[in-house]
Amino acid sequence: MSRHVWRVLALAVAALTALTWSACGGGDAATGIGAGAPAKGKKGGTLNALFANDLEHIDPGEAFYQPDYMMVFAVHRPLYSFEPTNLEVASPDLAAAPPKLSDGGRTVTVKLKPGVRYGPPVNRTATSADVKYAIERAFTAAVPNGYAPTYFGIVEGAPEPGRKKPTDIKGIETPDEETIVFRLSESSGAFIKALSLPITAPVPEDYAKRYDAETPSQYATHQAATGPYMIEAGKDGRITYEIGKRMTLVRNPNWSAATDFRPAYLDRIELTMGNEDTTVAARQILKGKGLINGDFPPDPPVIKEAVQRRKSQITFAPLGNRYISLNTKVKPLDDVNVRKAIVAASDRNALRLTRGGPIVGDLATHFLAPGQPGFEEAGGMKGPNLDFIQNPDGSMALAAEYMKKAGYASGRYTGSETLTMVGDDSGVGARTAEVFQSQLQKLGFEVDFRQVPHDTMFSKFCNVPEARVAVCPNVGWLPDFADGQAWFDPTFSGESIVPENNSNWPQLDFPAINEAIDDAKKITGQARRDKAWGKIDRMVMAQAPAVPWIWDKQANIASSDVQGAIARWNAQWDLSFTSIK
Amino acid sequence: MVTYILRRLLWAAFLVLVVSFLTFVIFYALPSADPAVLRAGARSGNQALLESIRDTLGLDEPWYVQYAKYMERLLFHFDFGFSYRNDASVREQIFDRIPATASLVLGAAVVWIAVGIPVGVVSATRRRSWIDRIAMGAALVAISAPVYWLGLVVLYLFADDIGRFPVFKGSGSYVPLTESPAGWFGSLLLPWLVLAATAAAFYARLLRGNLRDVLSEDYIRTARAKGLRERSVVWRHGVRSAITPVVTLLGLDIGILLGGAILTETVFNIPGVGRLAFSAIRGADLPMIQGTVLIGALFIILANLVVDVLYGFLDPRVRVG
Amino acid sequence: MSADPLLAIEDLRVGFRTDDGLVQAVRGLSLQVAPGGALGIVGESGSGKSVAMLTVLGLTRGPNAEIAGEIRFEGRDLVGARESELRAVRGRRIAMIFQDPQSSMHPFYRVGRQLVEALKAHQTMTRTAARERAVELLALVGIPEPRRRVDAYPHEYSGGMRQRAMIAMALANDPELLIADEPTTALDVTVQAQILDLLARLREELGMALVLLTHDLGVVAQVTDEIAVMYAGEVVERGSREAILTAPEHPYTWGLLRSIPRLDRPRGEELVPIAGSPPSLLAPPSGCAFHPRCPYVREAHRRVHPQLDPAPGAVVHDVRCLLPATTRRRLWRELAAPAEGGAR
Repeated sequence: MSRHVWRVLALAVAALTALTWSACGGGDAATGIGAGAPAKGKKGGTLNALFANDLEHIDPGEAFYQPDYMMVFAVHRPLYSFEPTNLEVASPDLAAAPPKLSDGGRTVTVKLKPGVRYGPPVNRTATSADVKYAIERAFTAAVPNGYAPTYFGIVEGAPEPGRKKPTDIKGIETPDEETIVFRLSESSGAFIKALSLPITAPVPEDYAKRYDAETPSQYATHQAATGPYMIEAGKDGRITYEIGKRMTLVRNPNWSAATDFRPAYLDRIELTMGNEDTTVAARQILKGKGLINGDFPPDPPVIKEAVQRRKSQITFAPLGNRYISLNTKVKPLDDVNVRKAIVAASDRNALRLTRGGPIVGDLATHFLAPGQPGFEEAGGMKGPNLDFIQNPDGSMALAAEYMKKAGYASGRYTGSETLTMVGDDSGVGARTAEVFQSQLQKLGFEVDFRQVPHDTMFSKFCNVPEARVAVCPNVGWLPDFADGQAWFDPTFSGESIVPENNSNWPQLDFPAINEAIDDAKKITGQARRDKAWGKIDRMVMAQAPAVPWIWDKQANIASSDVQGAIARWNAQWDLSFTSIK
Repeated sequence: MVTYILRRLLWAAFLVLVVSFLTFVIFYALPSADPAVLRAGARSGNQALLESIRDTLGLDEPWYVQYAKYMERLLFHFDFGFSYRNDASVREQIFDRIPATASLVLGAAVVWIAVGIPVGVVSATRRRSWIDRIAMGAALVAISAPVYWLGLVVLYLFADDIGRFPVFKGSGSYVPLTESPAGWFGSLLLPWLVLAATAAAFYARLLRGNLRDVLSEDYIRTARAKGLRERSVVWRHGVRSAITPVVTLLGLDIGILLGGAILTETVFNIPGVGRLAFSAIRGADLPMIQGTVLIGALFIILANLVVDVLYGFLDPRVRVG
Repeated sequence: MSADPLLAIEDLRVGFRTDDGLVQAVRGLSLQVAPGGALGIVGESGSGKSVAMLTVLGLTRGPNAEIAGEIRFEGRDLVGARESELRAVRGRRIAMIFQDPQSSMHPFYRVGRQLVEALKAHQTMTRTAARERAVELLALVGIPEPRRRVDAYPHEYSGGMRQRAMIAMALANDPELLIADEPTTALDVTVQAQILDLLARLREELGMALVLLTHDLGVVAQVTDEIAVMYAGEVVERGSREAILTAPEHPYTWGLLRSIPRLDRPRGEELVPIAGSPPSLLAPPSGCAFHPRCPYVREAHRRVHPQLDPAPGAVVHDVRCLLPATTRRRLWRELAAPAEGGAR
């Protein structure tokens, strides 16, 4: 299913510099629901979030996917974090104020709030050294963190990941308990944004050391909370996360509301795993009491029913994009005109219908999704001024023109190459792929379509340049945070191409774009940044390395007695702002 | 007898070895997701990170070395290793899940025996009567109905949260027996019925066929000629013989299902071994796959052994010395 | 034949409805067994002898069976009797043993237990008493070491012992009539003789009547006083043992006699099997049922159904044949004199 895409997208690069913190509310563009400050809630009550699968990683140093974040951000306080309605600007959380940049952006100083205390069994104040340790441990094999090298690799003295033991990172200084200073090898907007990732949530070294000594680390089941909630502990002191069954969050007795912007209305939050039949689970939520969806989006029929009859119980949150990548290194897709012809021929309406039609999202005309900084600059809903992306139903006539430009006089592909396409073997992804296959065939292409499980599609084919897959119809992107760098650096920069786990699926390596991305990374003013990334979006689109076809809206549902609040940055319910009516 | 069982146990151990080996080979031979990549958090292309994960998980070694190490831990420490995905102890996870699966399967077995056997007997002795026709028609429906579908229908009809006639506890209500016997019973009623439906139908049909054959045996004629009541003839002489293949099947079915009743566990959100195995397969979680496959194989092999020994008690002709 | 027969069958007809039509297994059978008498019924398989005797016990009843005629046992009608009445007769007054002792005992129960079951079906007795009686019965039928063997399973018995055990089971409740259906067919020749001796001895000792069903005239010759020959569901000839064995009048009986080896005939004489195969009971032949296989058939035999008439001059001897009596006797004389009528 598509969940993987979304889990995955939570990682990327990104940047926004000091200006991010100064304001710039950002456009709430096309989304509607979920925007606006969450209403005040009633204190007390128990909420039950239904999950289809287990949480992937609950250690703040490892947590990475949307569902993980849902839990982790209620239990841990990184230096910065996002209020539910804010997509762009993180608020100081463990930090007392926005970071101070000096030395041309290469020194970042963060002041911590005094008196933020860990819950039991640690029961002491969190210090800057704890934050330093939290980052250092994320470079060890015991705590494999996917984004640590991406964002924190530029800290002076940051090691390669996979260390046997946490090593002291010279570039992180803690002159006193409430101050932490990062020295970077270059200025980076993405670094500032990354201070809102859970890797910066404090981990008490004295307590965590013995758990981190094991590989894999056992801190996950002994973690100490700084947030309003903590995972209920059993008699043995281990937290009671019953894998495949449940996890219970209770109030952290040492949390002080005065230090936090989270209202934390609920007394108790149950996370119930194993609701693999998501239709049953969705109906339980809609008909029941005190329930919300955790990690799964409701199925289209449930969404339709909810929209028609239970409008107050469903909320849509925009999230990432989906596109069909066209491998620019594989013949005949190495010809930009062939790619343009394919984009021109694409019937995006038909593709969107495979997921359920307009209800599930807007037709994409470029990459940056609505509401994201740079969206308007990239062309807004209408898209860039490129003829081949204009017709939502596709235009065979235009496609034929591009084919002629590419040297195929008949307007159809007449070469000898067969296009290898690797897509999902089940679910809506398979249907999308099949529809696109027929669109390619209309243009005269022979398509060799291999259907495999979603994870296999990525790890053995689309993520491996050597596999030379021409078309990956089931890819998409959800950035770590709302910033153009998080969107484009991993996905369209030639420098991001790696031999495995590659996410530049089209293997686009266009010098002008690479250069533009490099330049944009260093830009520190929000408006200039938006403009730069918007322009990069247009540049990428002009190369037609992919067919963007939908900007997803994730549906979230809740029982009628739940006053839910969506964390827009995570496109899921925010446990710390949700309450029972 | 003892040597026979010992010999069978040795054979069982060998089979488990073969099964584990095949699991390993299949896992490495078939294209699947890369556990290191899954663990790294999907899109991290950082080579150092991937390598350190491979090193931690032992994935950088050739598969046969991995297999040897795995078997060594398993055989000498009864250690099934740790999940690639969430680091949980495989052994703990499986043992934690067995009570739920056992509750589901054994309870369902009681139901399908209690329903299947009388129905089979009545159908066999009243062949072509309306009661036989109705019973066999229903059996055909039950056999053709996919468990998953049946589970959903039952939930939408009777579950107390989403059902039209909210009578029984629905999906996700499972409570361990040790926590609340009444809650346990209530939460398992629907799953038992659903899991038992197909089996009951199958057993009824099997018994009906067997009993038909047995009732035309000479010794049934002898029993009748003795002047025994028809009820004794059917039950003591007929069913007694016709039941042996049913007992065999019962043993195997329970063995197989103890390895995981995936569909029923999924529909009703019962935290059993089947769901564990299923999500392990989806997550390319080799240690968990191995663990669940081995446990499943062990159950099946043990069930086979029990059935064979039991068979000796049931049929004196095959009793072993 | 004395005044009150133990068992009297009058014009018994038994048919079974099948998908192909009505199988007429027994077509107007009449015979009698005197108390303590011994009747042999001879016929090929499919002649209806087993069906007729099973019908006596009510074991052919079923939704597809058509049973008509009369069966009187000690004067009481059994055809119309209720199932419970029949059950009181079965195994108690009339016992029956079958061809294959191997398959006629339940393979899963000890022999003793099956004996006890037979006892307890009709008598109230303690377990130990029943067991003692079982041992006695096994001893009675000549099973060595009965006290040990009583706990054995049928598969631990030899074929002959199994049949003895079956007989013991049949004798459990001192029946007035024992029906033995091909009791020796499945056994070795030597064992056959032992079983037949046993039956003869028991009949004498216990004073019970015996009906012996067989396809083998040689077998009935040893044990019975009277013989009835059945063909296609009806009796074609009946009479005293003497009459049937020495002066048979029916061509079918001749065939039966010539198809068995006999000690009183010269060695090297060819055994002559009866030509052709038993008739279909779905559509029995018209006229004389034996006509398709009869070497002496004449045109009229295909149309006229012969009656069972007394053989002229004989006291207890009836025959169902359309050939004139004189012709029959001439033919038998020729057949019975091998030296003159050598078939080679």
